[in-house]
Amino acid sequence: MRERGKTALVVGGGPAGLESAVKIGQAGYRALLVEKEPTLGGYLGKLCKTFPRLENPHDLLDTKIGLLEKISTITVLTDTTVSAVQRKGDTFTARLTTGAISTDAEVEVEAVVLATGFDYYDVSRYGEYGYGVYPGVMNSVEFEARLKEWSSRQINAKPPGAVAFIQCVGSRDPSKGYPYCSKICCMYSAKQAFLIKELFPETNCYVFYMDYRAAGKEYEEFVRSVIEQKHVRYVRGRPAKVFPNNGRLEVRAEDTLMGSPVEVEVDMVILAGAIIPREETIQLAQKLGVATDNYGFLEHEFGSPATAGDGIFFAGGCGFAVEIQGALEQGAAAAAEVSAFFSEVPEGRN
Amino acid sequence: MEYPGTENAVKEVLKILGVTVVMDPDQTCCAGYVLTCSGYLPTAPLAVTARNLALVEQKGLDTYVFCNGCFGYIRELSHILCSHPHYLEMSNQLIGRWGYKYEGTTRVFHVQELYALLKDRIAEHVVRPLTGLRVAAHYGCHYLAQQYGMVDDGDLPTFHEELFDIMGATPVFYKERRMCCGYSVGRGFTHNEELVQPHLARKFESARDERVELMTTVCPGCNVALDREQPNMIKRGLDGLNIPVIDLSQLVALALGVPIRKLGFDANTTSLDGVVKKLGIEKGS
Amino acid sequence: MVRERDKDWTDDLYKKVDCYDLVDNLEQCLQCGKCVGNCPVAAITPSYNSRQIIRDILMGNMERLIRSEEIWRCFWCANCYRVCPVDIHFPFLMMELRFKALEYHYGIKYVFPFKKFALRALEEGLTFVPGTKGREKIQNLRATIDTEPWPVVSDKAKKEFKAIFDLTGTTEWIEALNEESDNPMICTYREGKIVDE
Repeated sequence: MRERGKTALVVGGGPAGLESAVKIGQAGYRALLVEKEPTLGGYLGKLCKTFPRLENPHDLLDTKIGLLEKISTITVLTDTTVSAVQRKGDTFTARLTTGAISTDAEVEVEAVVLATGFDYYDVSRYGEYGYGVYPGVMNSVEFEARLKEWSSRQINAKPPGAVAFIQCVGSRDPSKGYPYCSKICCMYSAKQAFLIKELFPETNCYVFYMDYRAAGKEYEEFVRSVIEQKHVRYVRGRPAKVFPNNGRLEVRAEDTLMGSPVEVEVDMVILAGAIIPREETIQLAQKLGVATDNYGFLEHEFGSPATAGDGIFFAGGCGFAVEIQGALEQGAAAAAEVSAFFSEVPEGRN
Repeated sequence: MEYPGTENAVKEVLKILGVTVVMDPDQTCCAGYVLTCSGYLPTAPLAVTARNLALVEQKGLDTYVFCNGCFGYIRELSHILCSHPHYLEMSNQLIGRWGYKYEGTTRVFHVQELYALLKDRIAEHVVRPLTGLRVAAHYGCHYLAQQYGMVDDGDLPTFHEELFDIMGATPVFYKERRMCCGYSVGRGFTHNEELVQPHLARKFESARDERVELMTTVCPGCNVALDREQPNMIKRGLDGLNIPVIDLSQLVALALGVPIRKLGFDANTTSLDGVVKKLGIEKGS
Repeated sequence: MVRERDKDWTDDLYKKVDCYDLVDNLEQCLQCGKCVGNCPVAAITPSYNSRQIIRDILMGNMERLIRSEEIWRCFWCANCYRVCPVDIHFPFLMMELRFKALEYHYGIKYVFPFKKFALRALEEGLTFVPGTKGREKIQNLRATIDTEPWPVVSDKAKKEFKAIFDLTGTTEWIEALNEESDNPMICTYREGKIVDE
């Protein structure tokens, strides 16, 4: 394999960053993958199962990490953040800070791929749902962790009598949140509903949605199976209020398809919070001089799949909400852009 | 009007807290209530609000009200004036004949915001701690409905309960805490008593079940609803209901040592004798 | 009418109802139903549904709206406005809808009882003004608690207050309210009955 010497700094070790680093390495270039957590994987590593095929996320993760380890031109640094970065003529210099003791290292690279991922909206902003005040109200990330716990120690778990999922908490809400649709919540809530019914078939499960968005391969079939085979009750209406009552939680909403107000009693309420950009993304974009939209997500140059600026590429959640397969696709696209950028074919460059 | 004690309470409390109150005899009602009952066309209340606020602006002050309803109306009407230039022009033209001009600079507050801000000062001046009294809050609708710039969250407010705590009382959370009282537009206009009563019964039932001894409001409209409807509730079968209802200002006045005869408890239908006795206060002091 | 037909829809009903220009974002309604979940009226009246009323306005079902009892049910508590994700001021919309209904002589039976009360308020510069007996009772009560016998409103203020109503044509409008001209209404949403649980 020809060693071509040029290095791309990949910021973020979630599915987009992993795919990007692997493909850059496989194309024969060097990749320096930097991940701020002690382990790789981002949100993928926190999942119990993926949608729509309910696969084990660790199968995917282990495959990618295995490839990373095989390719000698890829260096992986975990527990490391990019504390400074700037353009220096044709290259970029970055300062990498590792660990609690903060040891710094300076590197020089020829391209940067931002794969810093997304964050979740702080749903405690919605006083009507009582997150952080009423026990039993949690967000999707916390519930996914609970599902993982239950899956591994099923015998010890006491099934909840009923649970309710509330969609669009912070999304499609110009008043208190963001006007956009966070794209993946309808699907991951359907997955979570499926999983809890699989674990505890006796638990009543409600999903309070506004419009469920299942635009993807096998997505619609999956949601229908949740409704039809798992008997999860989908109620179209945004809940107005959640409040405690005699040790349980009451959810008040309107079933807009029927036109009548409803009240359900559950033990857990899971809030699907909006997907928002990370602070790190906004800061790095500023330091690199690339554009973000007014929410803070990265913008791509006209007509390009993954270019934010000259030598600067991005993939995954830092551009907008995206599911695992999409993150892999974007990671590969960013890697292709890096390859094109690094190639010695002058006519092939923009 | 129905509870003159509230007026007194507000004045006395603000005096103790060191806030100077300027009362202006040239102020009139904003006419918002009848507007919401479709009894007036919007142009008149808009101009009247512009006039009242122009008067306050001339003095360089902010407006304070102690009624949720008034607060809601003045806030909304002034917002309409500031965001619709043609209404502002029309109003200023009308009131211009008396030399008034509304600029949109004065702000409108409710005294409960002042109490929340001056929590620490209230704590310093408590002379009659309300120990052992189980007090529930009725926040009402129109203050928290304004959403932006409010002191607390509209669905999960706690600043009244914090005040109760500071005054030594026991705050009680009951299930239908945030339910509208149904009065003003509800009782007076769109539904008659027989229909608002089942609505109120739910609220009272949940308060009674939590053994509430006193309820506070921040709106005379709510006060009328919750206080005067209780005998009717009892007639409908809600046994054991005896929850006197007073304004938050009157409660603060009690804790701050204002003489009880100034608080006008005789205006209340549901008697406060039990509460007064429990707190060990001599009637007439 | 079993099926709604486009030729029965009133064009631009939204703009016609919003003639006072108070609710400019009605088309942002996502029909999410959060307003209904919080509405105290919807909890006791099965046929009252704020979300459906918004839909009817946007579609143009003028007849159904102005001839129904439901539009006179809103308490103005503004709980809907507080939770609405797009901040639609529903109580103002209802107020404008009621004015529209009054224009077509529906619902006068609701507003007419206010006529005397509204005219009396104009004279005093206040709103909640009781009759003679009530007035006496209040004056006595106020005397015992060391405060003025009646809330003070200066004569200048009263004059200016009344003048504003006269000049805007509001006094004329109130005086013209005549219950004889009221048209009979029908409840067309669902049962229309109010449930007393």
